[in-house]
Amino acid sequence: MFQTVADIAFVMTFLGVAAHWVLVPTRKPRNVVQGAVHVFSLLLIEQRTSLLGALKKLAYLLSLVCFVVLAITGFWPLLVRGEHISGYLMMIHATFAPIFALCLAVIAVTWAGENRFTAEDCPWVRRLLRRATRLQVPAEEKPCACAVVGYKATFWLLLFLALPLILSIVISMFPLLGTDWQHHTAAIHRWTGLAFAVIAILHTYLAIRLRMTREV
Amino acid sequence: MRKVLFAGLCLPSALVWLIAVGMAAEPATKAVTNRGDGSRAPGIHRLPLYAEPLEPGKQGDKITKETDPALPFSMRGTCSECHVYKHDYDVIRKGWHFNASDPNVPPGRPGPPWIYTDVTMGTQIPLSYRAWPGTFRPEQVGLTPFQFTQLFGRQMPGGGPGEVDTDADDEITRQMVSGKLEINCLSCHNRDPGHDQAEYAAQIAKQSFRWAATASAPFASVSGSAKEMDDTFDHLMPDMVMDEKKKPLIPTVTYQPQAFNHKDEVFFNVSGKIPADRCYFCHSDINASQCGSEKWEADEDVHLTAGLTCVDCHREGLEHNTIRGYEGEVNSNVLAASTSCKGCHIGDENGRAPHAGRLGAPVPAHKGIPAVHFDRLSCTACHSGPWPGATTDLCKTSQAHGLGTHGINKSPTALPHVLYPVFAKQAPVDSQEADPKPGKIAPHKLIWPAFWGTIGAEDKVSPLKLDTVKKVVGPALQGLKFTAAGAWAEIKEEQVLAALKTLAGSVEEGKPVYVTGGTLYRLKDDGTLSIHQDHPAAAAYTWPLAHNVRPAAQSLGVGKCTVCHSTGAPFFFGEVAVDSPIAAVSNLTKAQYQFQQAPYGRTWAFAMSFVFRPWFKVVAIGSAALLAVVLLLYGLRALGAVARVLAEQEK
Repeated sequence: MFQTVADIAFVMTFLGVAAHWVLVPTRKPRNVVQGAVHVFSLLLIEQRTSLLGALKKLAYLLSLVCFVVLAITGFWPLLVRGEHISGYLMMIHATFAPIFALCLAVIAVTWAGENRFTAEDCPWVRRLLRRATRLQVPAEEKPCACAVVGYKATFWLLLFLALPLILSIVISMFPLLGTDWQHHTAAIHRWTGLAFAVIAILHTYLAIRLRMTREV
Repeated sequence: MRKVLFAGLCLPSALVWLIAVGMAAEPATKAVTNRGDGSRAPGIHRLPLYAEPLEPGKQGDKITKETDPALPFSMRGTCSECHVYKHDYDVIRKGWHFNASDPNVPPGRPGPPWIYTDVTMGTQIPLSYRAWPGTFRPEQVGLTPFQFTQLFGRQMPGGGPGEVDTDADDEITRQMVSGKLEINCLSCHNRDPGHDQAEYAAQIAKQSFRWAATASAPFASVSGSAKEMDDTFDHLMPDMVMDEKKKPLIPTVTYQPQAFNHKDEVFFNVSGKIPADRCYFCHSDINASQCGSEKWEADEDVHLTAGLTCVDCHREGLEHNTIRGYEGEVNSNVLAASTSCKGCHIGDENGRAPHAGRLGAPVPAHKGIPAVHFDRLSCTACHSGPWPGATTDLCKTSQAHGLGTHGINKSPTALPHVLYPVFAKQAPVDSQEADPKPGKIAPHKLIWPAFWGTIGAEDKVSPLKLDTVKKVVGPALQGLKFTAAGAWAEIKEEQVLAALKTLAGSVEEGKPVYVTGGTLYRLKDDGTLSIHQDHPAAAAYTWPLAHNVRPAAQSLGVGKCTVCHSTGAPFFFGEVAVDSPIAAVSNLTKAQYQFQQAPYGRTWAFAMSFVFRPWFKVVAIGSAALLAVVLLLYGLRALGAVARVLAEQEK
């Protein structure tokens, strides 16, 4: 079942991203190669002068690399070969996992402030609140910056999902859980991993779009 | 008038019909009672003794305390007095312990072979009538069922090859003298402490097959030896032996007169609840490297210590289709699926009633053990056999070494050399698939075959007949230095060369070879020796071991993963000794991972990764904690913002 759901989820995600890329064009050039070079140059070259800025970008870049490696090593054996992760793939997965966890922690600390939701992010929420609660919430008539909201929402979702993703596998390494719960934690890791991967793809896509339009 | 006539015809017909039905029903009722009535109380067996029948299918003469000469009793004749339903004996002989020589019986998971050893010929070869890959059929080495029985019947409960009519000209009359080796029900079912299975074995060695069961019974004794009798000997007329020297050797039975009651019945203390001591005669083993032959130094299986007996798990009905107890066993026994390690300890979640905990089996928690272990390892991998060490140990078993019989070599290094534990991937079990997947990793016993043979097309090696080897190879191996310990006498490679040259002139098909320790020696065309290490035809024969089961507190992995997952862990990197009479071969070693079909690099790297496992845990937990704090902090701030807005509205 997981294999089927994962196949569908990944196909839908990539199709959705592609459709969005085509149907909702950015204000910058839409050449994909140019866009990718632009984004990576932003990440790698355009460093802020402070150490913190460098750390933030390094953590983001490293986590992206780790994510790609973990996603491939985690999903490849299951989706392509129909078997559980083992052997060298398992070792690579387990090597990159703690680095990824550390990067996520650094990202959480350094990027959380910038990704706070503000009153300006969602004017429609404010309008809704005003109507529903009859509170005197000031409502502006600015259009909703949906990409920004999506970017922030996926950021917080990733942080939130990272917890069960990490803990489900770490806890199973301690002599605490019996066989049934070992199966449950493995299932939690799998399903959370799938959700994390889908959201991470969306987050990366939105980050690229926003960088290209310099909205964040 | 017509009515009277009709009634007069119908009534006798009805009477005849009722009588016929009644007569037909009687054996059916008996047959049902023969199967037991469900009472847990043991049945008492006071039975008249019957001798071997003079004609097939008929009952033999009844034996009383006055019978002269005292004849050996026939188990078939004696037990069949009650066990007649569907000719029970013929049903029983199809059971697992007796059906090895039946080619129609599926071989099932590889099991312990019979091992023929001859130190003078550098021979140690696994034999079996079952088609277990790696074993050879006895006839391939020239052993007839009669010879096989004489060699290995010591640790068989009779039947099987012991009852096969010999077709070898020189054996037909010998079989008439020795009799056939009937199933000896007492071998397993006798609870009497006076039961003497070693005496049974001794009688078989003396070709006194007909007398063997009687000799094992506590109320009889047997002297003499059928082997010493001429081919014309008739056990019904022992007085016909004229040779004075042979008269004391005539097989003679003496019954204890007090064993017979007033009806000339004898009490048999037999039961279906077989004590483990009976099983032990054929199924004992001991770690010879650690304990020598001192059984008091070795612990018993934890199940026996807990009060169970072998037959609590290895159950069978009258059909004697014993549950072997491994996962995936194909067996007509209705309890086969549920009476395995898993069956009692884990149970079947989909079953009608909970099975876990049967017979008081503790349900294992397996805390902290990733579930993948249960896909890749058998239960026995962690729970059975000796704790793995840097190298394998020598094991002595009843079937291989004749433990419990008279006059065996008690040296720990006596041949055959059975090594254990070897953690190997099990052969596919009872699989009907065309390309079955290999099984789980399980502890095995191992033997390195050593024998003289011929190699033919597709590098297929067949062993030579033992007689041929003795005749032809014997002279080339003269001068070997034998030890009292019964271990290998060293054979030099020059001697192998000389023997192969001699054999080259004797064998008609193929080229002569000597197989030992995984190495195949053959003669090159230029007359020199070709040495091929790791030749598939010289591969070790392994069979899974299930006992002794250790307590849970002594199972592999208890406490920490590095018991198995470290670069020096015996489970993967322990040495498996290579056994051979040739020094150059016996100096070689193998590693456990080679028997698990695992590449060295991957196995080593995975083991090495466990060095960093604690760091992984610390980093992951630390990161998760930091993430949780950030989420909590910003969650609280969000909550604060909402509360602030609400508070301002209140104002």
